[in-house]
Amino acid sequence: MIDEATLAQMNGKYACPLDAGPAWRAAMEYGFDMSLIEDTLRLTPEQRLEQHQRALDLVLEVKEAGERDAAK
Amino acid sequence: MQQNDKALLSRLKEQNVEFVIIGGVCGVLHGASLVTLDLDICCRFNLENLRRIEAAVKDLHPRHRLTANKLPLELTDELCDSLENIYLNTDLGILDCLGEVAGIGDYEQVLQRSIPHDLSYGEFRILNLDALIAAKCAAGRQKDLDAVRLLQAIKEKRKQQKDLF
Repeated sequence: MIDEATLAQMNGKYACPLDAGPAWRAAMEYGFDMSLIEDTLRLTPEQRLEQHQRALDLVLEVKEAGERDAAK
Repeated sequence: MQQNDKALLSRLKEQNVEFVIIGGVCGVLHGASLVTLDLDICCRFNLENLRRIEAAVKDLHPRHRLTANKLPLELTDELCDSLENIYLNTDLGILDCLGEVAGIGDYEQVLQRSIPHDLSYGEFRILNLDALIAAKCAAGRQKDLDAVRLLQAIKEKRKQQKDLF
């Protein structure tokens, strides 16, 4: 039997760490996906830059596709 | 259009450009999950350093991206004396070179508030987290203030986990 909290997390509710401070909670309440920040902080700075490059490549690819479509 | 920050940084390093990484890429290195479309650096605006920047991008069709006719980067001694910033579009993406950073000051002040950072392709200096927060606050646009929220959360987390960078 899955408890309510686990089910909520499965459905996308972020489990804020119990020791999270006010700035962390404020960012979470503002709408940032803090689980992504937790994941990113586990990476080395170089891995963060590589992750960013992949995201950026995707953004630019989508942007260019949109521009191509608009030009048609 | 592409944006290859690693290639741009490597080229700047190869030419011994004196610079500090600022802006969104600096935020990414500190752990913020942002996507930024340009590479911002603060650099020493003297003749020698500007010539190094020019050498770093000379074969990348560098153009002043904010000029109406996208003028090519063709530095002269006289122009170097007049420039305070250089906003470039290159074959490897956007490279914005600033002489000073709002909320911090000129290159010397930026340098004082930077930390060294080892990447596999060289050692670079990036703004420390407090300075980056100050710069983003001073910039004051919504996207900067959003970034500040994240950076403050990261700062708080680092205080809790001393081994974290």
